[in-house]
Amino acid sequence: MNLPPRVEILWAASFVVQLALCGIILSFRHFRRLPFFTTYVCLNLCQVLFLYSIYRSHAQSSHVALLAGWWSEAITLLARVFATIEILHLVLSAYRGIWGLAWRLLGGTSAVVLVCVVLAYRGNPGQALMSADRGYNLIFATALISCMALIRYYLIRVDNAYKVLLAGFCFYACVKILLNTVLYDFLYHQPSRYPFIWQILGVAPYVIVLIVWSAALLRPLPEKQKQQSLPTYVYGRISPEINLQLQAINRQLMNFFKIEEPQQ
Amino acid sequence: MNYPAAVFASLALLLLLAFAWLALSGTRRKAEVVGNERRDRDYPHFSHLPQIKQALVNSDFMYLTDQGYPALAERIRKERRRIALSYLACLRIEFEKLLQLARMVAVMSPNVAVAQEIQGLRLNLEFSYRYHLIYFRLVSGVAPLEAIGSLSNLVSGLTIRLETAMSELGERAALGAELLPHNGGGLDAGG
Repeated sequence: MNLPPRVEILWAASFVVQLALCGIILSFRHFRRLPFFTTYVCLNLCQVLFLYSIYRSHAQSSHVALLAGWWSEAITLLARVFATIEILHLVLSAYRGIWGLAWRLLGGTSAVVLVCVVLAYRGNPGQALMSADRGYNLIFATALISCMALIRYYLIRVDNAYKVLLAGFCFYACVKILLNTVLYDFLYHQPSRYPFIWQILGVAPYVIVLIVWSAALLRPLPEKQKQQSLPTYVYGRISPEINLQLQAINRQLMNFFKIEEPQQ
Repeated sequence: MNYPAAVFASLALLLLLAFAWLALSGTRRKAEVVGNERRDRDYPHFSHLPQIKQALVNSDFMYLTDQGYPALAERIRKERRRIALSYLACLRIEFEKLLQLARMVAVMSPNVAVAQEIQGLRLNLEFSYRYHLIYFRLVSGVAPLEAIGSLSNLVSGLTIRLETAMSELGERAALGAELLPHNGGGLDAGG
C-alpha cells in the first residue's frame, strides 16, 4: 500500500460520505430530478474505488497511476459540468428569457476565460495537466459565479437544496484553483511532502462539500413550478422605455452641479 | 511564486470572495427592502413635491442673510441640506423601484434582449456612482440645492409614464404580480 495512513483514513471517510450521499439520493428519489448529478456522485464513488486499487499496486508518481488519475479526473470533471448545467436549468427553466441569458453568459464567460488561460499557459509540457486542471476550474468557477450573480441580480428565488449544490461546486472549484497554483508552486519540489499534503488538502474540502450536500438533500426537492409569462411584445415595449428613462435620470444626475442658479 | 501563479492565486481568492458575497448578501438585501418600505412610508415625497421644492428654493436663505440673521440662515442651510439628502434617498428608492420593475418584466418575458439588459445594468452602475458622488458633495456642502427639484420632476414624470404603460398590460400584469413574493429573495431566498 502506497498511501500514508492519514490519507487512507481521509479516503475512507470520503468513500463513506459519498456512499451515504448516494443512499440519500436513492432513498429520496432525487435521481429522477437530478440524473446528471446522481451520475456525477456515482462516478466519483467509482473513481475512489478505481484509484484506490491502482494506488495499492502502483506508486503514486508512477506512469500508470498518473494516467489513471488524470483520465478518471477528466471523466468526473465532464460529469460535473453536466451536473451543474442540470441544476442551473432546474433553477432557471421556469424563466425562459433569463435562462436564455444565462446560457449566453455561460458561453461568453467560458470563452473569455479560456482565451486568458491559454494565453497565461507558458507551454511547459511538465505542467500541462496541472495547468489544464487549473484552467478548467477557473473557467468553471467564473461561469458559475457569473450565473449566481445573474440569479441574484434578477432576484430569482432558488430553493435551498439547489443553492447548496451550486455553492458546493463553486467552493470546491475555487479551492482546486488555489491548490493547483499555490501548493504546486511551493511544494512540488519537495517530493517527500507534496503527494501527502496534496491528497489531504484535495480530499478534505471535497468531504466537507459532500457532507453539506448530504444535509441539504435530506428532504424532498421542490416541485417544478410553471411561472406566468408575459407576451413577447410587452418586454419589447416596456424595457426600452425604462432604460430610456433611467438614462434620462442618469443624465440629470450628471448635470446635477451644472444647473444654473435662478436669477434673483 | 512566479507571475502567472500569483495572478491565478489572486483570481481564485477573488472568486472565493465573490462567492462569499453572493452567498451572504441575500440577508442584507432583504433588510434593505424592508428598510426601503419603511422609508417610503416616512417620506411620501411625490405627494409633497411642491412643498419639498419650495423648501429647496434659495431665495429665503438669501433674504435671511441680507436681513442680518446669519444664525438663522445657517440653521436653515442645515435643515435644507438634511431635506436634500432625504430627498435624494427617496429618488434612489424610486430609481430602484423602476429597476425592479424592469427586472420583473425581464423575468416574466419569454425572450430577453441582451443589449437591453446590459444597458440596464450599466445604467444601474452609473446611477450608483453618481448618487454617491452627489451624496458626498451634498454632505460636504458644495451642491446647489435647486438641482434636486428638477431631478424630482424627471423621476415623478417617469413613474407616471411607466404606470400608464404597465396598466395597459391588463390581466397579464395582474398575473405577473404573483411573482412579486419572490422578489425579496435572490440566492438566499430559499433558506
